[in-house]
Amino acid sequence: MLLLSHSSSATTTRGLAAAPPACSRRARLLLPRARAADTTGVGADRAAEALLQSGLRPESLPRHVAVVMDGNSRWARARGLTPADGHKAGGRNLERIVGLSRAWGIRALTAFVCSRENLSRPMAEVDYMMGLSEWLIGDNIDKLSRQGIRLQVIGDTTKMPGSLRSAAVQADEATRHNSQLHLMLAICYSGRWDMVQACRELAREAQANQLSPDDIDESLVAGKLATSAAGEFSCPDLVIRTSGELRLSNFLLWQSAYSEFFFTDKMWPDFGEAEYLEALRSFQGRDRRFGQSRLL
Amino acid sequence: MPSIRGNVRVAFEFSLPSVCGNVRVAFEFTLGPLRLQEAFVASEASVFMNQPPPHMSRPSIIIKLILGLLWTITHLAISFLNLWSHLIYSLECYLISSGLLRKYQNLHLGRLKCLAIVVDSKEAKSTVKVKQLLCWLSSMGVKYVCLYDIEGVLKRSFEPAVNVSRDRTAGEHFGIGANIKDLHRSQREMVIDCLSGSDGKEGIAKAASLLCSTYFNGDTHGDGKRKPAFTEADMASALKAVGCGGPEPDLLLMYGPARCHLGFPAWRLRYTEITYMGPLKSMKYGAIVKALYNFSKKHQNYVLQIRYTN
Repeated sequence: MLLLSHSSSATTTRGLAAAPPACSRRARLLLPRARAADTTGVGADRAAEALLQSGLRPESLPRHVAVVMDGNSRWARARGLTPADGHKAGGRNLERIVGLSRAWGIRALTAFVCSRENLSRPMAEVDYMMGLSEWLIGDNIDKLSRQGIRLQVIGDTTKMPGSLRSAAVQADEATRHNSQLHLMLAICYSGRWDMVQACRELAREAQANQLSPDDIDESLVAGKLATSAAGEFSCPDLVIRTSGELRLSNFLLWQSAYSEFFFTDKMWPDFGEAEYLEALRSFQGRDRRFGQSRLL
Repeated sequence: MPSIRGNVRVAFEFSLPSVCGNVRVAFEFTLGPLRLQEAFVASEASVFMNQPPPHMSRPSIIIKLILGLLWTITHLAISFLNLWSHLIYSLECYLISSGLLRKYQNLHLGRLKCLAIVVDSKEAKSTVKVKQLLCWLSSMGVKYVCLYDIEGVLKRSFEPAVNVSRDRTAGEHFGIGANIKDLHRSQREMVIDCLSGSDGKEGIAKAASLLCSTYFNGDTHGDGKRKPAFTEADMASALKAVGCGGPEPDLLLMYGPARCHLGFPAWRLRYTEITYMGPLKSMKYGAIVKALYNFSKKHQNYVLQIRYTN
């Protein structure tokens, strides 16, 4: 997707390992079991089995995963393809990751498709990107509905073409009551824009005498952010960024306060099931305190 | 005793810490067709029993021994790899510290206008370690450091001292005897800004309240139809007005058990490079040099007017 592609030539610094948890070992004999009724497709069943085989504990998976899908252009360039081919491959991979997230019981997935800063790129590329997003949304509404996935587009709608806005509204209405997975596509989005628009919403409520400016606190601001529709899953537990870049690039700045970061050198089209599992394993191995001191 | 016919899958898994994160090893294989005289439930039952039940058949005992041997070998191999990678890492940090790796000798920190250090609040109580870290950063030529922990431990520990010593060299005040040979030679003035959770989300809420108050008061004589049109510039000004302004760090180093920024002022994190450094108690001079070196080699392409090239 149209993320801020960079020409970094430095090796990626991943930092050191966190305080290591105690080494654990388990041995299990797994009895043969009947496969679950294939209501969601063979792929989903196989994905769920892959999760179990990888040793991940389903109860400790992140509930909300955010992905910065970077590296499509570089991926294409490395293969002698056009950036458009890279974005197409990125779109297909996003579909794959959405399927895996749903199969693994992740409740919310936010994908950074396009930032407001990306709109400064050449018009042809921006138009292509918007068209691809529109096609991605429109082409998948039925499939998402069948799978119980709610699709929501977050971002500055004033910067989107009318057709993309319409597709986003249509998708939101068609999938509003789905609850298996809340998929948020961040298009023309920026973290700062999100905080400012939350502030504007609060000002409108103050104007309508629904609240006083003195009442504004963290929770009120959080309640007006673009991801607030995800309710208890509005803040990501895990933020994944591909292509070796080590920054947020104005993505979910407020919401990522307690998010685990996972940076990988893989380009987004190459970020598959194995890489996703690695990110989830990394998440499960961390000691997360959410800013609190441990009582033990 | 129930018996099992058919294929049985045996899986082993364990996790080991490493410098690159936890290493999880899992292997499994299928036994079968096999008829077992006893059933193992699919839970955490250990297969390493001291005394096999008398009714177990010889093949299953042999299989258990083989499994145990394989597990031990794999465990040893992974432990060795983990130890090896830790040794390599420690060696690299030592070589960097001693100046033997030439490429790290001259850090070009012209682009590093502001460095942020996020520390887990529990680890921030180790003021000796934090002081040592500041000494090192000062010796490397870092000019501006934002120290952050969510509970304000660093603010309480360092802010009074920072206010007193602003006109003095940071190395002189925070010198704690760090055994860096060029520390006394390269003491430079370093600005230290101590931040806490009140400067993060709370600060943004205060700025939002200020903006709304300004808008609300300005519209009292109107008919309420003027739409609030706050911009990012307005928010930045409001943050400054409530005392939560400040530069955007170019690089942020995270110390603690988790790889997260723990609520560092969100408004200032747009394009900040983020590097996780591990626990503060294990900090190494060489690791910091490496992080600063890698930052100096980074190229960011995030300006609004992007010169896009294919």
